[in-house]
Amino acid sequence: MTLALMSLLLPLASALVLLVLRARSPVLMILATLGSLIAAAGALYQVVDGGEQLLALGGWEPPLGIRFRLTPLSGLLLVFTALIHLLVAFYAAASRHSQTRHTDYWPLSGLLHASLVALWLSNDLFNWYVTLELLGLVAVALVTLAGPKAYRAAMRYLILSLVASLFYLLGVALLYGRYGVLDVALLASLTEADATTHTALLLMTLGLMLKAALWPLHLWLPPAHAGAPTAVSALLSALVVKGPLFILWLIWSEIAPPALARDMGFIMALAGVAALLSGGWSAMRTPYIKTLVAYSTVAQLGYALMALGLLLYWELPELHVALWLFVLSHGLAKVSMFLAAGEMQATLGSKRISALTGATQTMPVAMFAFAVAGGSLIGLPPSGGFLAKWLLLQPLFAEPANWFWAFAVLLGTLASAVYVFRVVALAFDRAKPTRPDFDPHVLAQWLALIPALLVWGMALVSQPLILWLTGVTH
Amino acid sequence: MIEWLLDGTLAALLLILAIAVIRASGLYASVVLFIAFGLLLALTWARLGAPDLALAEAAIGAGLTGVLLLGALAHARPERPSNTLYGYRWPAALVSMALAALLIRAVWPLAETTQPLPAQVMTELEASGVSHPVTAVLLNFRAWDTLLELLVVLFAFLGLRQLRLAPLAHTEPWPLLAAWGRLLAPLALVIGGYLLWRGTSAPGGAFQGGALLAAGLVVLRLNGVLPALSWRQWPVRLGVLLGVTVFLAVAALTHAFGAGWLTYPVAWNTPLIVAIEVAATLSIALTLALLVVGEPEEVHP
Repeated sequence: MTLALMSLLLPLASALVLLVLRARSPVLMILATLGSLIAAAGALYQVVDGGEQLLALGGWEPPLGIRFRLTPLSGLLLVFTALIHLLVAFYAAASRHSQTRHTDYWPLSGLLHASLVALWLSNDLFNWYVTLELLGLVAVALVTLAGPKAYRAAMRYLILSLVASLFYLLGVALLYGRYGVLDVALLASLTEADATTHTALLLMTLGLMLKAALWPLHLWLPPAHAGAPTAVSALLSALVVKGPLFILWLIWSEIAPPALARDMGFIMALAGVAALLSGGWSAMRTPYIKTLVAYSTVAQLGYALMALGLLLYWELPELHVALWLFVLSHGLAKVSMFLAAGEMQATLGSKRISALTGATQTMPVAMFAFAVAGGSLIGLPPSGGFLAKWLLLQPLFAEPANWFWAFAVLLGTLASAVYVFRVVALAFDRAKPTRPDFDPHVLAQWLALIPALLVWGMALVSQPLILWLTGVTH
Repeated sequence: MIEWLLDGTLAALLLILAIAVIRASGLYASVVLFIAFGLLLALTWARLGAPDLALAEAAIGAGLTGVLLLGALAHARPERPSNTLYGYRWPAALVSMALAALLIRAVWPLAETTQPLPAQVMTELEASGVSHPVTAVLLNFRAWDTLLELLVVLFAFLGLRQLRLAPLAHTEPWPLLAAWGRLLAPLALVIGGYLLWRGTSAPGGAFQGGALLAAGLVVLRLNGVLPALSWRQWPVRLGVLLGVTVFLAVAALTHAFGAGWLTYPVAWNTPLIVAIEVAATLSIALTLALLVVGEPEEVHP
């Protein structure tokens, strides 16, 4: 547990140091993130080796105190968070267009990292409320770094995030009033199917779905994620929306009474299908590059929601693996896609997709990153996205009764293929390429490519990864 | 009978004020009504036997939020009358009523349940290092929540900082404010300090004390007694970050050399809690004062 706490403390303390010194240098934050990654890897190794670890904070066991719980999955999420932060930090430090030079980007990204780690480690409903609050506030602050044109989207994000927090808090208060405990493990053994519990869970779900931008509560996401500075967009799409999803997954798979979970699972899966279709449709039609990538996040979250819904509906443990593989592969692919899209947009001087005409000639590496990441989002082999989709499809193909869901996944895949190839096809139109406003920056493009290569690499270790995740999630 | 009358009047007034806040003709009137609403809410908490909440509501909910809202109003462009939301009134009312029905159905059975946790807090109170149960929960049993809450205050301030608001034009303080300010500010400082000190044994503590201290700082600044406060000054930065830093240092040190993350050594219980509370109070006071009267930084290109 010491290593997990180090992974929390390093970015937090570095952010505080940067704030006191009013320093804007990336070096300290990159070192802290690297340290955090190493600590997280150590924590993951320990927890896989020695099993789940518990830490009663302040020496007080729940229900009196708060308990940290380091499971293999949360260890994996610690590594994932630090890795994404490190990849984005390299890009943000190198790129000329990352809008991090004259802003508080570095301390804020450290604070975001620490907030996420606090969320993954916690296992307490009220403590999660505080971490959600932290996550929302720092995410909004990061969006505003883009300047006044992003204020409207940031304001809407802030208000909806606060409303969502209140819904969640109301649910937590009801559960506390009913059972007198906040620790998830304790609560899991106590819950009964009564009106109070149902209302509480519904309120919490509403709040968490709003925060995670799950359909139909996703409308705030595209303007906020598209309007933020590029490095921030990557962090928001890859990590921030996954925090509430993690809580949603835990409360429904551990706390909720089984009958309610089954009904809710069906609704969630349907919402997932709707997210696939509506997110895909909007991504096909938008004229802006980053908005396309942001709508693709809405659609991809649909897969995760569908996996969550179906695993509750059919009580299929295999789908846990599919859910978390989606989260990991989407995170990596989306970082690459946002960084490549932002770099191309800034270099080519227009937010419009039409500006990408001939980009394979002017910015080949960035376009390659976009295409590779897009391939993973579509689910083309070999990639992490393919693995996740394969695991999701297996139970769907098993019985003809489930073919409706398989058809929905197919439609979603088609939509993602359309919006990815829409860009890629344009980029191969080399007859009249858009002339770049600046010299294309080679290093930044390569840094955008690394996460895409990693998501490709997930396919190379697919079998051990799936077997291992199967052990990890249950 | 008298009690029933008091409670009934309070509840009715709260409802009337809540509706008035929404229906007031201008934003300024809404803000003023909202401050009154906060004060009544504080009274309500006191009636419900929650003096800690009452103090917090009065200091933060009514006082500080009111000042912040008035400050925001001063930054805002003059409002234009708009009817854009008019059409949503009835649907909104319907949704609210459905939600209220759902909530009442959920809350009703809770009246008969008894909470085992307060009793457990009382039995462990001896070991916590303070004699007031609320402080024991906030700074010992669930200290991690409080540490993160301090970070919430910091994050809110950092978020606002990114907006680089133009400074408000301060007018010359009018004589009445100048004269009363000199009297009020020291009083606010003394009461704030007292609330902080009392926190270990009775209702009070860092958030309430900090809010009062902030009020004193704001009055002094508006009077021109205090120099400009800005993030540029390193003592200000240090002060804002002090609470979180001290708390985190305690957590890290107890983990490295003691019994565990935030597990205070028994003999050091009380001094550690008081040290954290003092640091937190200073940080909260400074952060809140900066939110209201802070000078913006130089604007970057």
